[in-house]
Amino acid sequence: MQAVREVSLAIARGEALGVVGKSGSGKSTLGRLLIGLVAPSAGDVLFDGQSLRGLARPAWRALRRRMQIVFQDPYGSLDPRRRVGAQIADALVIHDIGTMAERKRRVADLLREVGLEPDHARRFPHEFSGGQRQRIGIARALAASPDFLVADEPVSALDVSVQAQILALLDGLRRRLGLTLLFISHDLHVVRHVCDRVIVMYLGRIMEEGPTEAVFASPAHPYTRALLSATPRLDPSRRTRRILLAGEPPSPAAPPSGCVFRTRCPHALPRCAEVVPDLIEWSSRARVACLRLGEIA
Amino acid sequence: MRKVAVPAALVAAVILVALAAPVLDLPDPVQQDIARRLAGPSADSPLGRDEFGRDVLSRLIWGARASLTVAFASAGIACVVGALLGLVGGWFRGLGELLALRSMDVVLCFPPILLALLVVTLLGPGSSTLILVLAILFLPGFVRVTYAEVLSARSHDYVEAVRALGAGPLRILLVTVLPNVAGPILVQLSLAVAAAVVLESGLSFLGLGVVPPEPSWGLMIRGARSTMAQAPLLLLWPCVALTFTILAMNLLCDALRDWVDPRTASAVRLRAVDRVLPGLVPRRRNDALLEVEGLTVEIDTPSGAIRPVQDVSFSVRAGETVAIVGESGSGKSLTAAAVMGLLPPAARIQAGAAYLDGTDLLRLDESTLRRLRGSALAMVFQDPMSSLNPVHRTGDQVAEVILAHRRLPRAVVRREVIDLFRRVGIADPELRADAFPHEMSGGMRQRVMIAMAIANNPRLLIADEPTTALDVTVQAQILDLLAGLRRQTGMALVLITHNLGVVAEIADRVVVMYAGQVVEQGETKAVFARPMHPYTRALLAAVPEGDEKPVGIPGTVPPPHAMPPGCRFAPRCPHAEEPCRTAPPVLRALDGRVVRCIRAEALLEQSASA
Repeated sequence: MQAVREVSLAIARGEALGVVGKSGSGKSTLGRLLIGLVAPSAGDVLFDGQSLRGLARPAWRALRRRMQIVFQDPYGSLDPRRRVGAQIADALVIHDIGTMAERKRRVADLLREVGLEPDHARRFPHEFSGGQRQRIGIARALAASPDFLVADEPVSALDVSVQAQILALLDGLRRRLGLTLLFISHDLHVVRHVCDRVIVMYLGRIMEEGPTEAVFASPAHPYTRALLSATPRLDPSRRTRRILLAGEPPSPAAPPSGCVFRTRCPHALPRCAEVVPDLIEWSSRARVACLRLGEIA
Repeated sequence: MRKVAVPAALVAAVILVALAAPVLDLPDPVQQDIARRLAGPSADSPLGRDEFGRDVLSRLIWGARASLTVAFASAGIACVVGALLGLVGGWFRGLGELLALRSMDVVLCFPPILLALLVVTLLGPGSSTLILVLAILFLPGFVRVTYAEVLSARSHDYVEAVRALGAGPLRILLVTVLPNVAGPILVQLSLAVAAAVVLESGLSFLGLGVVPPEPSWGLMIRGARSTMAQAPLLLLWPCVALTFTILAMNLLCDALRDWVDPRTASAVRLRAVDRVLPGLVPRRRNDALLEVEGLTVEIDTPSGAIRPVQDVSFSVRAGETVAIVGESGSGKSLTAAAVMGLLPPAARIQAGAAYLDGTDLLRLDESTLRRLRGSALAMVFQDPMSSLNPVHRTGDQVAEVILAHRRLPRAVVRREVIDLFRRVGIADPELRADAFPHEMSGGMRQRVMIAMAIANNPRLLIADEPTTALDVTVQAQILDLLAGLRRQTGMALVLITHNLGVVAEIADRVVVMYAGQVVEQGETKAVFARPMHPYTRALLAAVPEGDEKPVGIPGTVPPPHAMPPGCRFAPRCPHAEEPCRTAPPVLRALDGRVVRCIRAEALLEQSASA
């Protein structure tokens, strides 16, 4: 099964890129590919100009501390048997950074940085709430001062009141530390206030890519439009006419030929089944993969 | 810690006594005294003498050395080697997996006695041979247990996280994986030690283990058997020693397992449900279909009883959609479970009533309630995969629900199932009715669940987070389906959700819960446009939508055992004043709504003037 297919993208230093798609769209696999947790079957990832393919062990280790990941599930992502401080210090121990005392100080600083208390280091994960655990996960990822952070659905498992806290925290940290961020989410609205640019994925392929505001203001791809219109809105006046997608999402193991979205697309034509649409420039800054773009957008 | 101390002391006592055998002033355990053959207890031999006139107490203590050495050594060797093989097999897969697991399968193919005979023939009987045989016999168990645990541990994000940090396989295995798989291995160890003592006895009994006249518990049982009729007590002593040792080992390993797991809170104490509720005369309600009054759910915990749902009241009219919203821990799901009579065993209803058409659901006996569930009262859960039986066709599962409440011929049921599938928007209903759950997508499975729920035309449908597990485009379809069904059938819908957008879309009225209490209740439009309770307001501000940045609520929901004395939201409330922190506010009517806040009017004025 191909989870991610023929995806090309670039993230500028210090940029926040959002990746949006439903479950099974390959967005998590994409995140893991970018930091080398999953090896690509074809293609390559260049990090700071350096290829991740066939990298020797020592070089890998050096790169490792520069790229980190924050996971979705605040319960499964922390080792239940080890104290929080020890887990945050892991990166420092593995990469042999600092003395014992310095590590301790760093852990305390990190905990404060993510809005917890330094003496929380002595506690176990189960003593924290979901939001606090997500903060700990962020502190762990930041321990070795990475340049690139993949946040894989970091707020999906949290209550809405806590979601906003964590979003604000990530946004603040990114600006303060100059992090490059890949923010993966199934919810376009979550991405909106954190990311400069956004990629919309469907069944392993990029459907649309562009500056976040542009994608929100004038979504071009039929899938992006359906996604935006389907999100329930609080304010009735903002509610747009809902574009109901026909049928069920196809299995990622057997994606449709041609355009992968065509089976549910209200605008699909016979030729959509034959040609895989390229990502083409649309307006000045967005790229969209749709054969009928000129007619429907 | 205290829990480990007692069993540890017991095991230590057994080991110490065995170790101390040479310094204890015991008679020689192999010294025979035929004259005092089978003598009863006396001053110099408190447990009597055996069939060769040897001192039983002395043999028991010296025998413990042989038995325990064999048991601990063999179980220990099997544990260390097995855990290593399991770790390697589970982590590296491929060749390591093949070697570690297949070799164990080969061992498992040998009958244990055959294996023992083989090794004894090759090496001759004796303690060291016995240790080897037993270690080989126990090895597959440890490999299998460790392997399975490693497989499940490696799928956890925290293992992935240390990998992302750049840890090598050795560090991951020893620091991260091993502590997390230690529990089951420890249990296996206790079982192995216990089994080894028994097997040592058995094999020695067959003459394959410890060589006489050297004492062991197994040999003692073997010897005592021949004189069972004359001196039955001789059989008792080694058996008592054996039982005591095994019991102590089991206790120790259980305690160790709990101890290495920092999460283990002592289990919730189960209590006989004392459901003698204060007898209220059931009242006849004319407007409300469901009327929940003062519902309080209590759960006993080691640190005292907690009330995750307290004094919750709301009503649902026929054909109405009422949403219950709140963060996790607000008690919304437990409220629904209480109404359905599906509370977890540790929870009980402490007070309150839930009238469905005037009948108090909370005081019905289980069989009456079962008749109601699935007919007048139905429920849809969050996770359609785990709510459907994976080995039955979906159509049959829906048919079962129909047949549970109505006696109909098969063909009629089949027609009805297909009609239901069509009503919930499943394409090709004839085909889909024969499909298994795994052949359907998440959205389709949720449709099947809804078909089951509406199969017997319920008056009330409770949906607990019905769309949380689905992606937004499918969520929109399911919400439209529920709204449509409600219009067609006139059933009432109680929707439990944390998604305020969903509430705004389909609910007529909304009940906002916080920390087990209702804080605000009213028409959805009015509540969302002009929230009266600061919590409702904060919740709405936290939703990411529109141009404003979402604002989080500082702090977290207080745990049920440490509720603040005053208003439960006060510690997180930007508008809290001194009176809020001292006395709990009561729920009161205000402007056609109910709200639990003493400052509601002041805040409304404030926001109106702002």
